Amino acid sequence: MAGLTNVLGERRSRLDTSPLRHLDLVLVGSVLAINVLGLVMIYSATRNGLVGDTGATYYLQRQVIFVVLGVGIMAGAILIDYHRMREWAPAIYGVTILMLALVITPLGSSTLGSQARFAVGPIAIQPSEFAKFSIILILAAYCAVHRGDLGGRHLVTVLAIVAPSLGLVMLQPDLGTALVIGVVVLAILAVAGAKGRHLAVLALIGITGAVVAVNLGVLKPYQVDRLTAFLDQNGDQQRTTYNLEQSKTAIGNGGVTGQGLFKGSQTSLGHVPEQHTDFIFTAVGEELGFVGAGLLLVLFGIVVWRSWRTAVLSNDFFGTLLCVGVVAMLAFQIFENVGMTMGIMPITGIPLPFMSYGGSSALVSFACVGLVANVSMRRFS
Amino acid sequence: MTETRLRLSIVGVVIVAVFAAMFARLWYLQIAAGSQYVAAAASNSYRTVPEPPLRGRVLDAKGRVLADDRIANVVTVDRRISEDERDLVVGRLAELLAVPAATLRERLADQRVSPYQPVPVALDAPIEALTYVTEHAEDFPGVKAQPMAVRRYPNGTVAAHVIGYTGEINAEELEGAPASERYALGDDIGKSGVEQTYERVLRGRPGRYEYEVDAAGRVLRTAKRVRAIPGRDVQLTIDLDIQRVAEQALAEGLASARLQRDIVDKAKFTTLRASAGSAVVIDTTDGSVVALASNPTFDPNAFTNGIPTAIWRALNDPANHYPLLNRVVSGQYAPGSTFKLISGLAGLRAGLVTANSTIDDQGKYKISDQVFTNDGAEVNGRISLQRAMTVSSDVYFYTIGGSLWPKQRRGEAGGDIIQETARLYGFGRATGIDLPNEAGGRVPDAQWKQRIHDARPDAFPYPDWLPGDNVQLAVGQGDMLATPLQLAMAFQAFVADGRLATPRLVSRILDADGRVVRTVPAVDAGRVPVPARDTLLAGFAGVVGAEGGTAKGAFASYPQQPPAVGGKTGTAQVAGKQNTSLFVGFTPLQNPRYVVAVVAEEAGYGAETAAPIARAIFEALNGLPVAPVTAIPPAGGN
Repeated sequence: MAGLTNVLGERRSRLDTSPLRHLDLVLVGSVLAINVLGLVMIYSATRNGLVGDTGATYYLQRQVIFVVLGVGIMAGAILIDYHRMREWAPAIYGVTILMLALVITPLGSSTLGSQARFAVGPIAIQPSEFAKFSIILILAAYCAVHRGDLGGRHLVTVLAIVAPSLGLVMLQPDLGTALVIGVVVLAILAVAGAKGRHLAVLALIGITGAVVAVNLGVLKPYQVDRLTAFLDQNGDQQRTTYNLEQSKTAIGNGGVTGQGLFKGSQTSLGHVPEQHTDFIFTAVGEELGFVGAGLLLVLFGIVVWRSWRTAVLSNDFFGTLLCVGVVAMLAFQIFENVGMTMGIMPITGIPLPFMSYGGSSALVSFACVGLVANVSMRRFS
Repeated sequence: MTETRLRLSIVGVVIVAVFAAMFARLWYLQIAAGSQYVAAAASNSYRTVPEPPLRGRVLDAKGRVLADDRIANVVTVDRRISEDERDLVVGRLAELLAVPAATLRERLADQRVSPYQPVPVALDAPIEALTYVTEHAEDFPGVKAQPMAVRRYPNGTVAAHVIGYTGEINAEELEGAPASERYALGDDIGKSGVEQTYERVLRGRPGRYEYEVDAAGRVLRTAKRVRAIPGRDVQLTIDLDIQRVAEQALAEGLASARLQRDIVDKAKFTTLRASAGSAVVIDTTDGSVVALASNPTFDPNAFTNGIPTAIWRALNDPANHYPLLNRVVSGQYAPGSTFKLISGLAGLRAGLVTANSTIDDQGKYKISDQVFTNDGAEVNGRISLQRAMTVSSDVYFYTIGGSLWPKQRRGEAGGDIIQETARLYGFGRATGIDLPNEAGGRVPDAQWKQRIHDARPDAFPYPDWLPGDNVQLAVGQGDMLATPLQLAMAFQAFVADGRLATPRLVSRILDADGRVVRTVPAVDAGRVPVPARDTLLAGFAGVVGAEGGTAKGAFASYPQQPPAVGGKTGTAQVAGKQNTSLFVGFTPLQNPRYVVAVVAEEAGYGAETAAPIARAIFEALNGLPVAPVTAIPPAGGN
């Protein structure tokens, strides 16, 4: 008894001094809740073995491993003081660019027309996912130093920092990730004090760049078709609108309360292509209905809100900018992904954070939320 | 710091707007427009595959099979495959099935088969070929090897016009069929004959499998199965033995007639064309059709699983005289002297003649400046009704027709007693036999003549019913038209002492186990007057057996002398064509059991072609040896 009391007492005393006592449990709890839902929906979308005839729980098992790894990474990102990460930022960013360069060499492997991953045994690593994290880190670090002075030279420097990774991502080509990076850059610059007209010009360059990429054939034809399908949803180009039609049908089939878990015909019969990855939201929409999909959006809203709140409350500007980067990344990915399944955004290959099947995306999303929790709990120190 | 707060607030506002947009869209898709997507999802996940029922058989009166389904190994090709795939598939199939590639291409290009339905390219393919195709599916895109029910007509052309044939349902038939029958593109449907009229009985009810499928079309499970109900067997009144004799006699008679000179064409030597003909045998007890033959004919087997284009063209080529046409019910002919039954009955009913009265036949009949003569201006002298029938005196019947004209012109009652009698005996309307496309014939009268004149004054310049019209009508010429079946049924009513019948083609409906589901009763169609029946019967007997009878020569070879057969020859003139040869008769003489009507187009005198054909049929009906049919050169008389 005495020993137990002692142990508890010790633990309390350690918690009392650790920044962990200020851990944002609402943020972490919401993220974990979303992940649990994600696992259930991945199982639902793949249990009939229609994606690869690999057994009912193949994708579930793999994703459980990713989530466990992700929670570990999040723990690491929480525990290591983010100020130390600031010092590591250039090194992390350098490694990222190296990996992005290597992946488009024959060392990388190609799927669905884009050269975006390293196949390491059964696991595929996507450097472009990690690029999001390291760009947030390096830009926050740089802009925090040059706060309010982001015209001219420093703006050019920012662009020079981003250009190699952005360019390499575009070469894969992975337009979705490039867009996420673009939005993150704009958001960090905006909060760091860049001039409105500079931001407008940058946004314009970004949009022009995307349009040029579409028109100059940088993208594969199927990517262009997918991208533009949402503009002509009644079009009869069967192959391109098919994905979108099936996706909207699945969500619409959910109604208010959904068809019931594992009971959605679109979901269980595999009518929605890529449903366990980019189109996972359709499984939620069909089987859990407006109630379930709405709840998921509320959970996402809480995660974004807690991150935004942390940006506001951070006791240093580097922390604020880190959180802004994460907020921009999460909000844009959620909007783009959920929006594309509902036909209000173009179809690009952007995963839904914490929901879509995929290791790299999960690890990076966890790491980013870890950064936010890190900033949040150290704001008192 | 306030600057940063402001900028962060802007970011916050953007995020709130973005989430609001997602909620709005989610609400729209799931709640506002939800039902539309629910319907789309439902139709997405089920496939209904129809299971065609086994079609019922067609049997003859003694239960012999005239049509049934057999299971054949069929290779089909889906026409939606690409051009490249088509070339590939045609090449490989040609080699595998040892069929010329051109033939396969032709089958694939057949426009009469629905483009959504696999085209059968090979019936009864060897089992090795089927196995090969199944095991090398990736080398044969769109190709399927499967057992299929194929309609079979084991007797070939025999009774083709009665049985008819089946074929793939066309758009028009699909639209016309009631929804409850659940026809789908690609289904077979009866296209003619009993196959068409008894379609509902023969077809059965299609079943269906409802499969739950995934996006790739793979079947996950059978959600529902509705078993197909096999069609029922239809037993005909046709006797296959008599049918065969009738068809052979008809074919022989026509072939033989083609070697005969058309003596009407005095200017030059012309042979008879004898292009087509028909024969029908009626059982007088209940109106059952014992045999029904039409020539030229066709093989209904050619239609199973898509008739080759070349054969289809041949069947529809006018030069081949439309083999698909059933001339017994669809052919309309001037009945010629066979109509004297009706004008004789009319004369008796009107009191113009009696069984014992006579008319002086001097070979000519004159009415209002028009002169009508017997064939060859033959003079018969003073003759009774019986003799007039035997020698086929035109003058006798001209006199009846001519005598009625004044009354008719004045519109008095009884003036149109020939027409009235004709209608009583079934002319001028379809008999109601269970066969498609039955023609009604025509009984011309004053109103009809006025009507067609009003409709087309240029083609029909005379609106008035003239004396000549009545005189012509009395000998079955002019505008009178009858089908061979109408002629047979009129004689049936006469020999059955006035019992009108509706021709009966189907006697029973049987289920798959041979149990009788329904017996089709004879239809009593009422009674008609038969004055001086014995006198007329004697006259008809004389046609075949008495000295001077018009068909005496045709029946000279009949094994029984005098033959227990009575009848009437007919030779009808047709504008622009050679004479139609007709014979309608019955056997035996006492209480006749069978009526036989034979009509041969462009085949000369009634005694020349039709009577010898009928003679062979009578031999068969009486169980006598059937001698080959040869045309009898005309010795005069019509």
